[in-house]
Amino acid sequence: MKASWVLLQNGNATGNATNATAGGVARPPSAPLADSIAGMLGLDGAVAGPWAKRKITAAFTDRIAVNRVGPFGLLIIVADAVRLLSKELIVPDGVDRPAWDIAPIVIPFSALLGFAVIPFGSGLQLADPETGLVFAFAAASIASLGVVMAGYASNNKYSLLGGLRAIASNIAYEIPLIVTAASVVIFAGTLQMSEIVAVQQQTLIEIGGVAIPQWFAFVNPFAFALFILANLAEIGRNPFDIPEAPTEIVAGFQTEYSSVYFVLLYLGEFIHIFLGGALAAALFLGGPSGPVLPGFVWFYIKMWAFFLFTQWARSAVPRLRVDQFLDAGWKGMLVLSFANLVLTAILVGVIV
Amino acid sequence: MIGLLKGMAVTMKHALNGKTFTVEYPDVAPEVSPRFRGVHKFSQERGIWCRQCENVCPNDTIQIVMDDKRNGEQYNLHIGQCIYCRLCEEVCPVDAILLTQNFEFTADTKDEFVYNKEQLKNVPWYKGIDPLNSRNPDRDAWIGEGEGEIDYQ
Amino acid sequence: MSLEEPDPTDAVPAATSADAMEALVSEHVLSRDDHLNAPGYVVRPDAVQDTLSTLRTEAGLDHLSCVTAQEYEDRYESIYHLKSYDDPTHEASVVVPTPKDDPRSQTAEPVFRTADWHEREAYDLVGIEYEDHPDPRRILLPETWQGHPLSLNYDQERPQIVPLSEHANPLQDDQRGDEGETMFLNIGPHHPATHGVLHLKTTLDGEQVVDVDPDIGYLHRCEEQICQNGTYRYQIMPYPDRWDYISAGLLNEWAYARAIEDMAEIEVPEYAQVIRTLGAELCRIAAHMLAIGTFALDVYGDFTAIFMYAVRDREKVQNILEDLTGQRLMFNYFRLGGVVWDLPEPREDFFETIRDFLDDLPQALEEYHDLISQNEILQVRTVDTGVLPPEVAKSYGATGPVARGSGIDYDLRRDDPYGYYDELDWDVVTDDGCDNYSRLFVRLRELEESAKIIEQCVDLLEDWPEDNRTIQSNVPRTIRPEDDAEIYRAVEGAKGELGIYLRSDGTEKPARFKIRSPCFSNLQTLPEMSNGEYIPDLVASLGSLDIVLGEVDR
Repeated sequence: MKASWVLLQNGNATGNATNATAGGVARPPSAPLADSIAGMLGLDGAVAGPWAKRKITAAFTDRIAVNRVGPFGLLIIVADAVRLLSKELIVPDGVDRPAWDIAPIVIPFSALLGFAVIPFGSGLQLADPETGLVFAFAAASIASLGVVMAGYASNNKYSLLGGLRAIASNIAYEIPLIVTAASVVIFAGTLQMSEIVAVQQQTLIEIGGVAIPQWFAFVNPFAFALFILANLAEIGRNPFDIPEAPTEIVAGFQTEYSSVYFVLLYLGEFIHIFLGGALAAALFLGGPSGPVLPGFVWFYIKMWAFFLFTQWARSAVPRLRVDQFLDAGWKGMLVLSFANLVLTAILVGVIV
Repeated sequence: MIGLLKGMAVTMKHALNGKTFTVEYPDVAPEVSPRFRGVHKFSQERGIWCRQCENVCPNDTIQIVMDDKRNGEQYNLHIGQCIYCRLCEEVCPVDAILLTQNFEFTADTKDEFVYNKEQLKNVPWYKGIDPLNSRNPDRDAWIGEGEGEIDYQ
Repeated sequence: MSLEEPDPTDAVPAATSADAMEALVSEHVLSRDDHLNAPGYVVRPDAVQDTLSTLRTEAGLDHLSCVTAQEYEDRYESIYHLKSYDDPTHEASVVVPTPKDDPRSQTAEPVFRTADWHEREAYDLVGIEYEDHPDPRRILLPETWQGHPLSLNYDQERPQIVPLSEHANPLQDDQRGDEGETMFLNIGPHHPATHGVLHLKTTLDGEQVVDVDPDIGYLHRCEEQICQNGTYRYQIMPYPDRWDYISAGLLNEWAYARAIEDMAEIEVPEYAQVIRTLGAELCRIAAHMLAIGTFALDVYGDFTAIFMYAVRDREKVQNILEDLTGQRLMFNYFRLGGVVWDLPEPREDFFETIRDFLDDLPQALEEYHDLISQNEILQVRTVDTGVLPPEVAKSYGATGPVARGSGIDYDLRRDDPYGYYDELDWDVVTDDGCDNYSRLFVRLRELEESAKIIEQCVDLLEDWPEDNRTIQSNVPRTIRPEDDAEIYRAVEGAKGELGIYLRSDGTEKPARFKIRSPCFSNLQTLPEMSNGEYIPDLVASLGSLDIVLGEVDR
């Protein structure tokens, strides 16, 4: 698939970049590792988009979805890829050319960049700088730039509305997101991703012989809920899918894209969802920890559970109106996240 | 929050109970009621060329061509233009035209949908159900005992 | 019976009889031209506003139901059909003839806001001009159309290709807002949320709507002319299904059946009335299910499960209707004098299917309430948005769930009874909220009321004596009502008051067939509801109005 080849190239680039700028590294990042992680994510996105999303929404709506092409309908991924990539790439009149072309590359690129520091477990981590957490969030935020580039350069009022909404929402929910992540840092005492995961392996309490690990979600479920909500807002999913809102502004910033660009944006959105899930898993759910199965598999399970949760929210939760959404961000989430910070400080003082 | 969570619980229940409302067409043929109005079938043996169907058709879908001796030559029905209102069947005094339950018909161009006498005679029954039998209680007023079989093929 | 008796302490307007009303407006009345349903007062073209406002304030006729325009051999005529919201059987028609060479009459828009669009349509299709009309543009046909299709001298062969770019005024400046920066956005005919091909010309200030101007006519199929070319007896009946095509076919067919049966004085046997009621309420359930589902689609986003559940429940209703009528959407089931088929054999199976559906309905409604009306985010989205105060609604001629959601207690099934409704036990659902949430809520509650009616009908049909099951009275093959008989009759369609005006000229085809579509009047309230609100509220209001473009444009 051509798309994953492009992503592989990006993955390779990220490996070199982090090596150059970061301070300490856990292990020298290798090209095959970067390629394999990026390729794996590309595969994830490919499975999630055409197949898993359809199957999951069909389950929620009492339908049988894709089941004709290949076993369990999995070859629909190939069929869809061929179909989407073979479409005509229509360049509308009056688009701002370099920005319009670069935007669909920036969005998946930022997500993949963030994946460079995620601890997948079983020794799979591309780079482990001391400021890994900050790097992950910084990389993910580059997507806002891509969205507004797409929205403004498209020469289309619907795209403009979508892009502006995206910027407003990203700014509004970025701060609660990072403040909530900061509460994790208070708990773990470090910004390094592998250390955060390691801190969560310790036992919290013993119940009936089973050791409940110190996952931050168990220690402070309030922070977990806040983080999930803020993450939903960052990636633009119900109830916060205002930037895309198909029933209001057609397709938002994606309106003018077709063929390859659309594939990049579509996959980029899914990779962002997985990045959000990976961050939630690493920060709150102990990363790759879990009984019996290897760490890598557990991490995957947690990432996909987050994806499932977003699809579930999409089926059942309405979207907020744009001003209510921004109100919720600035007046609600911000206050709550600061309160959570104080709460965490108290909790950490009590437990640790 | 409670309302939100209740809503999410409802959808999750639907996801987990595994029942589906859709069927895998065409492996599973859907149930169609006996009164369903599908493609028409015309029997030249029964037709008396009274032209009532052509008269009553709301959008002039049926076209009958007679020769100068008032014998019926052509009976054309554009099944793409037809609105499937069944007035032609209702008004026909001898059940020469009736609407089968067959809804599966395709063509490559719209003009191929103009069915002439031969094509109308050859329209297959849907799942082999004879619609005249299934609508019998309503049709008794029109059908006498008659002699011989009803000769739709 | 829970039919509400009219409250005797309500102020009953003094003038309710025909002569009393004539006395009120006697200085304008030129002559009487009584229709079969109402007294008709012929007035001069420049006395329209006075007459209408007098009748409105002193005779209590506050509902301008329809404005019919037609052309005779010797004159043009506009007819204002007035009704009262409190008592729809209290009607009057104001007939305004205008000369052939100068068809101008005064506009009624200052008195009734609903006349705005109705008169635009009259100008568009027939050619009567209305002086001082605030917006005298064509409404259904494009601006560049030449000629008026329903006038007698319309030339069908005349070329019509005038591109809009040539039609545009070269001296007109580009539109720029004076205060602040506004943006013009076409929420165009192609849009996921406009419920059909509706073009909204919106002017936006950021995310707020400054002005919305609906541009309809993309689905205009000349239904009125088609019906004028078909015979009363058989050929018109398949077409009402296609006005409100969202499974409300039987309700539309009943509008036509009621009008022609009252005009030609055709009796309908009681057994057929019960079957008609049963079919009509099944259609209402299907229509409301889809209204709720698509509203959820607009507010919840494209992957919502609610739309799928609503469609699934609607499928069950459509299966029942398929057993009964033979089709799932375009039923063609009613005939003049009754229905075309008795219930399917074996009857017990049919009743069991309906009863199973009714038994599952409360649980399905429970799910909908959990998913929709209890959802906090939906409440935040829809409460206090799209507000339509009752007085404004009345002036715009809003009917159906839109009016009942604003507290107006108007339901033709109860107030102007037809079919078997007055023998059954059911309630009219109103809600005082006047916002999107109350309209949604009214529809959800109406589902329960329709289920009640269906249950009673099924019980009645089961015990109906076998020898009394006439489904269609004996109606001649061709119907020729007497010359110049005019009637306007309405039924409670799924979206509101669906009325039909018929004029016969002694032949077997109508001379004028005017359809009063509820969505047409309801859609006109959209600017009232959404000016000053945000785009998402505009979309939600449009969804709560529940328009079907087939009915708006006909």
